[in-house]
Amino acid sequence: METIKSYLEAMFAGMPDTPEVRKAKAELFSMMEDKYNELIAEGQSENTAVGTVISEFGNLEDLAEDLGLTKEVQELHDIESTHPRRQISRDEAGAYIANRIKKAMFLALGIMLCITSVACPILTAESGDGMVIAGPALMFVFIAIGVGFIVYSGFVDNEWKFIRRQLCFIDMNTASYVKEKRKSFESVRALCISLGVIICIICWVPCMLFATTSRVTIGPAIMFLLVGIGVFLIVYANSTAKGYDILLRLNDVTTISGNYGDPEPAQVKYVSKTAETIVACYWPVVTCIYLIVSFLTFRWNLTWIIWPIAGVAHRAVVINCRKYDD
Amino acid sequence: MIEISSDVIRGYNDTMILFILEKEPSYGYEISKQIKSISDGKYLIKETTLYSAFTRMEKNGHIESFTSEQDPEGNGKKRTYYRITDAGKEYYRTKCDEWGLTKEVVERFIEH
Repeated sequence: METIKSYLEAMFAGMPDTPEVRKAKAELFSMMEDKYNELIAEGQSENTAVGTVISEFGNLEDLAEDLGLTKEVQELHDIESTHPRRQISRDEAGAYIANRIKKAMFLALGIMLCITSVACPILTAESGDGMVIAGPALMFVFIAIGVGFIVYSGFVDNEWKFIRRQLCFIDMNTASYVKEKRKSFESVRALCISLGVIICIICWVPCMLFATTSRVTIGPAIMFLLVGIGVFLIVYANSTAKGYDILLRLNDVTTISGNYGDPEPAQVKYVSKTAETIVACYWPVVTCIYLIVSFLTFRWNLTWIIWPIAGVAHRAVVINCRKYDD
Repeated sequence: MIEISSDVIRGYNDTMILFILEKEPSYGYEISKQIKSISDGKYLIKETTLYSAFTRMEKNGHIESFTSEQDPEGNGKKRTYYRITDAGKEYYRTKCDEWGLTKEVVERFIEH
């Protein structure tokens, strides 16, 4: 039965997704199903039954005219001959996902290195003379490697760039394979994101713990390390998950075999361009303020308070800047 | 084995379907089965041909479709049934006359 379904899906893969076409597909499937069931009831083997049903099915050119789709089918043929819709096989889907995981790993590592780099000068700030220079130097090394990773992550999937540029499609088997993979990744993703968020929320705790000790700078250093790890987990999980969604969304309205992905999430809207900029710049600005104030005053034991305040203020800023549809 | 040319029979698929529907309303696979048995297995109508005939005839008002949960065997599969309309009956008669004429004319050119 699955074979018949896949066959029908493949036949209709290039057809526009109109109510007429959907109905045709459902009716044809019903007829094929009836015939298949009767052949099985007559004692035929599954393979013979499928073979008979498929060989007696006919062809879609017969249908196009009566479905009023001659123009659409012609247009699709034209599009397909100039820009053929490329099928992504199951193996390719697997390779793409593996590649996507690699990309996510480099991107997340890169971002983590950039964030944690700040811990270096903080740690060495109160040490001896030589170390004062070593800290910032190490910070730039971290940033350099981090940026290198981020840039590299942009090139990792070069051979898969066609997925974005060219029309592609996946068949039902590949779709269920990807869905299966995504499902098993879902728990990993949930774990990564919850851990990441928890780590980011409690990141200021070390600052409090070390605030009264002699080495007050350890707190902020650990904080950046924690933020780095937290962000790593979140970026890795989301970037990998996006790979599955990209595959599942390859099919669109022009492929009747259906769109296997969820619809694109609604775009967040802002009251104005300025509001959008404010929200986008918020955290980088807060980070800058924190670093500038901390380095100028060297009161690391107090300056962490900027983060919880900024966290609360962020909510207020977002609520005021976002446009909510009723 | 000689097979029926689909070009020749195309104009009479509708006639066959109307002939079957004139007796009682029916659904896709049942109709294709009847065509097969009435023709002694000499003509197999393809699913795509059958479905496009349904859409065309429904558009022309020769048949009507309705959904039924229950088929004669009593199992509950939801199916689209078709029934003949008055216009369809009239059309069927015209096609029968047309075929009589066609047969008569073509027959004169056939050597047995």
